[in-house]
Amino acid sequence: MTHWPHWLPLVAALPMVGGVLTPLLFRSRPSLAWAWAVSIASVTTLASSALLLTLVGSGPFSYAVGGWLPDYGIELQFDPVSALISPVCIIGLLSLIFSRRYVERSIDPKKVSFFYALVLVNLGGLNGFMMTGDLFNMFVFMEIFSVSAYALVATAREPIAALAAFKYLLMGALSSLLVLFSAGVVFAMTGTLNIADAASRMDVAGPMPAALALAALATGFAVKAALFPVHFWLPDAHAAAPAPVSAILSALVVKAGVVGMLRTLELFAGAEQLLQPLLTSLVWLGALGALGGALMALVQRDIKLMLAYSTVANIGYIFIGLGLATASAATGAMAHTLNHAVIKSALFLAAGAIIHRTGLRHIDDLRGLARRMPVTSFAMAFALVSLSGVPPMAGFVGKWQIAVGALQAGRPAVLAVMIIAGLIVLAFSVRVINALYFRPPSRISVASATEVPLSMLLPIAILTAGCLGLGMTGQPVLEFVAPVIKNLYGAVP
Amino acid sequence: MNAATSVFSHIDYLVAVALFLSGAWILLTSNNLVKKIIGLNVMETSVFAFIVTTGMIDDGAPPLLAAGVEGPFASPLPHALVLTGIVVAVSVTSLALVLVLRIKAELGSVELDEIESVGEHDDSAGPGGGSG
Repeated sequence: MTHWPHWLPLVAALPMVGGVLTPLLFRSRPSLAWAWAVSIASVTTLASSALLLTLVGSGPFSYAVGGWLPDYGIELQFDPVSALISPVCIIGLLSLIFSRRYVERSIDPKKVSFFYALVLVNLGGLNGFMMTGDLFNMFVFMEIFSVSAYALVATAREPIAALAAFKYLLMGALSSLLVLFSAGVVFAMTGTLNIADAASRMDVAGPMPAALALAALATGFAVKAALFPVHFWLPDAHAAAPAPVSAILSALVVKAGVVGMLRTLELFAGAEQLLQPLLTSLVWLGALGALGGALMALVQRDIKLMLAYSTVANIGYIFIGLGLATASAATGAMAHTLNHAVIKSALFLAAGAIIHRTGLRHIDDLRGLARRMPVTSFAMAFALVSLSGVPPMAGFVGKWQIAVGALQAGRPAVLAVMIIAGLIVLAFSVRVINALYFRPPSRISVASATEVPLSMLLPIAILTAGCLGLGMTGQPVLEFVAPVIKNLYGAVP
Repeated sequence: MNAATSVFSHIDYLVAVALFLSGAWILLTSNNLVKKIIGLNVMETSVFAFIVTTGMIDDGAPPLLAAGVEGPFASPLPHALVLTGIVVAVSVTSLALVLVLRIKAELGSVELDEIESVGEHDDSAGPGGGSG
């Protein structure tokens, strides 16, 4: 047991070091670069899963980087929120496995090693971000995963990709800047950057600087999480990126914004007066995001744009749950953070497989594909049903908990919005399923398409199984995250 | 302390706010992508300046222990934060500039309105259509 804390810095550092080495070692050998990246990600996944088991067995633990004890040094901690790194690593690994054949067609062979390098660095940044207990260290890890994400969007060949990456970069840099500003204010107020320590000293802060720090931090993470109305960078960036990158961005990188918001709530848990307006606005913005994202998804013709807008809708659900601040809504929001990650990565990888084989992205062009690509089509349909929140699938668990929380908090209007948004999600899911299964092919590339190779099929199949599996194991997940709630809202029930 | 001295004692914060707002103005309103990057840099500078000044103490000594040096010491930590922030800002700026180069090469302009009109032309030309 005692050696496990040492793995905390390793699961962040290993992918980053491995990533930086990738182009140096395997620049001219793309398939070796792939094997290298998959090995690094596998080791990281095993380590993060072992950390998760240790957490379940013997409770949270932490590591003082460089032997400098908190609250002076940087503290890496492993609590149920940090435990998200385990699914993060698994989804990252599966996306990497999927990438092997996908990048052959979509990325210049000379740049393939850089692609894997960026994915690994991104993974390391996400791991570090979710584990760190230090506000400034959070900013640093955030920049690591953000900058690699901007570059990953730009690896796509389409001319629109560079512009999408540029817009993503501007918004991302702005939000990082707000987080940095907030770290400066928090340090000036409390004399510490350790989140837990600063939270306990927040009462010495004046109300104005504290409100400023909270507003900057919450806005910064809201941009990263693509909460309405600061979501507008997301659809282009997620739709333009190569499919495995879309999966990583939509499933993992926006979730880092959610984790950041959870840490913000931890930091300001004692300052109820400041927190209340934030929670109220999270519910409203979340509701608008859920409704608006679902509506925008409904009118899209491009399947990846549809999935990207659906991410905006689901982020809306998650923030409704966080803002309602009841135990069931907040645990539901955290469970949905995990479940949506699995569902959306399954969807983006399946969409990537379809685009890889047919070169088509418009939903209407994909008619009749189920006959030619049965497994991929089934995965797509299954994950879409799961996304709609049909029990007993993964999408149901979080949405149900959040809905129950809305009733407990006496907010039936929020429940109504959730139901309407849910019906819209069901509508666009049915539209895609109808096109895939019940319409005759209208395109030659659909009629001549064949199923994708195993290295693409396997990740899709595993994630699709996860869409059902996480629905079946909803209760353990909810119980697992429940202890975090008391750190988030202070005295709020 | 009357209102005038209070405002004056926080002149550094006011300058930071003014810089931040002008940077935001450039970022949001300019049509040129390079100018947007400059706006971002101005905003970054304002935040760096703000954080550095929070470590300042009136009549504070540099935080170096030596014989005969006595406190109060200026806080060294904000400087360390800002140094890291500058490194990050430089890399973000360089990535942004590379992206602008690629946008210029592929879409033929760094003016946002011209780029977007090119996109519309491409749409009307249909898939595989020529450049607008």
